[in-house]
Amino acid sequence: MVKTFQDIPGVEWVEGTGNFITIDEEKCTGCGNCLKVCLAGCYEIVNKKARIRSTEKCMECGACWYVCEDGAIDFSWPAGGTGFRTNWG
Amino acid sequence: MAEQYDVIVVGAGFGGPVAAKRCADSGLHTIMLERSRIPGEKVVSGLVIPIYGFLFGPEFIREGNPPLERPIRSVMNRFVKNGEIYDYDHSLRLPAPIAVGYSTYCKPFCTWLADRAVDSGVELRTATTVVDVIKENGSVRGVITDKGEELRSKIVIDAGGTQNNLSIKAGIRKKFVPEAIELYMIWDFEMAKEDVDRVFGNSMEFFHVMPEERIGAPLGYGSALYFFTYRNSIHPGMGQFLVTEGKIPNVAKLLREYFDNFTTKVRRWREDIAPKVTLRAVTWDVCPIYAGLIREMREMPYFGDGMLIIGDAAGFESAAFGDGVPSAWFSADIAAGVALEAIKAGDTSRSFLKRYEDRVKADPFIMHTITDTRRWDMREVLKSKSESELKRRIRDHWGIGAFKYKYLGGPCLKATGRSIKNDAGIVAEWLEMFRRYYRNWEEDRFDRLSTD
Repeated sequence: MVKTFQDIPGVEWVEGTGNFITIDEEKCTGCGNCLKVCLAGCYEIVNKKARIRSTEKCMECGACWYVCEDGAIDFSWPAGGTGFRTNWG
Repeated sequence: MAEQYDVIVVGAGFGGPVAAKRCADSGLHTIMLERSRIPGEKVVSGLVIPIYGFLFGPEFIREGNPPLERPIRSVMNRFVKNGEIYDYDHSLRLPAPIAVGYSTYCKPFCTWLADRAVDSGVELRTATTVVDVIKENGSVRGVITDKGEELRSKIVIDAGGTQNNLSIKAGIRKKFVPEAIELYMIWDFEMAKEDVDRVFGNSMEFFHVMPEERIGAPLGYGSALYFFTYRNSIHPGMGQFLVTEGKIPNVAKLLREYFDNFTTKVRRWREDIAPKVTLRAVTWDVCPIYAGLIREMREMPYFGDGMLIIGDAAGFESAAFGDGVPSAWFSADIAAGVALEAIKAGDTSRSFLKRYEDRVKADPFIMHTITDTRRWDMREVLKSKSESELKRRIRDHWGIGAFKYKYLGGPCLKATGRSIKNDAGIVAEWLEMFRRYYRNWEEDRFDRLSTD
């Protein structure tokens, strides 16, 4: 299934990505850096821990992974042919 | 187990197809793996490929008809205060058909490159994510795909882009530090060609400000606010480094706030541009612009036993201009040459592949552009609040000063000398390329793509 969102025109998301971003709750200190850099609103803080709210608008940039000082975020790639795609990059 | 391929290239962005094509042209059994369905549909960038990439890069690009959007013949730097343009620098201007660069969308251009690789005999497998490398006795011997398939090769060329997961999994590199990374956001607007011609001409445009203006992260903290002009669209964008003054700012909030401020406060946007455009797309990505300026990043290896790393994955991103395409092409070409020599010699060890590093370091552009401090130094100018110094530096950065010998002039002269030594007819080829690219643009006629 392909999704689009009004607030991010020109981009489609193909479902079936798998969990390509994970958070190690043990390592996370809830600093919130991931929220500061995520343009897709993928993260939230619950009980002083970062949690993935949804990766449905994720553009796979990895900014969250770069700024995670705790090494709690693991970033890989969605399954082949899934995730975001655009004609206008 | 017998090896299935001589070379596996991971990634069909701007660098991968160049490496794969050269390997195949040399008779190597080559496969290129790409995680997207169509090459380039996950490559997100505002893009004006600078001219030195075309002049000194792969011959097949120079002699081909790639899908270019607009020849960029000048750089317009506008200086803005309180929403008004108070000065400009338009010192970098070239007559047609010469260009300082060419704008393009990533999807058609990467598809065009991948098509050329396939024409040369490269096996292209799309919608395939590489999840790990196969290692034997410490040496990379292939990759594992998301379908669990094991593909073996004598050499793996990692062209996976900024996030460089594969070279990390191979134990060769580490993740870039956030100080090196810029997060940029791009808005794509449709605009009638005659309006682009009238409002921008064949220029790309920058809006330079002091930080308190808040209409874009100024050069140094980011990329300022820029407009790449296409055939019948424009591509404004801006970037912000993930770390500013030692802190991680709220980049997501800042980028949106800056663009909102720009579109509400700057008269040029409100009166000259906004009435003529329709928003078509919003995208974002990161790139390792300052990787070459941070010693720990610069000294990370870009090769290991059985593996060569090219382009953004190796941190070959211009620290001054933020363009990665020329260095992706140059490093791809060098890597393919080294892969051929290694396979012929039957030695793909790290010690043999060190010649890749030696040649990268001898390239006139790669090391020079990753260590160019002009953008980094702008932060001091911004702190000084000196408008005259800002203008002087911008002229040196994005104006005619960019071609001073100590900046791009030196590498261009070296590369020109080297090119003429190899082929006395190269100057005529360059002129023919300028003419043909310009004619293609005027007639809107480029090579058909496999996806057409």
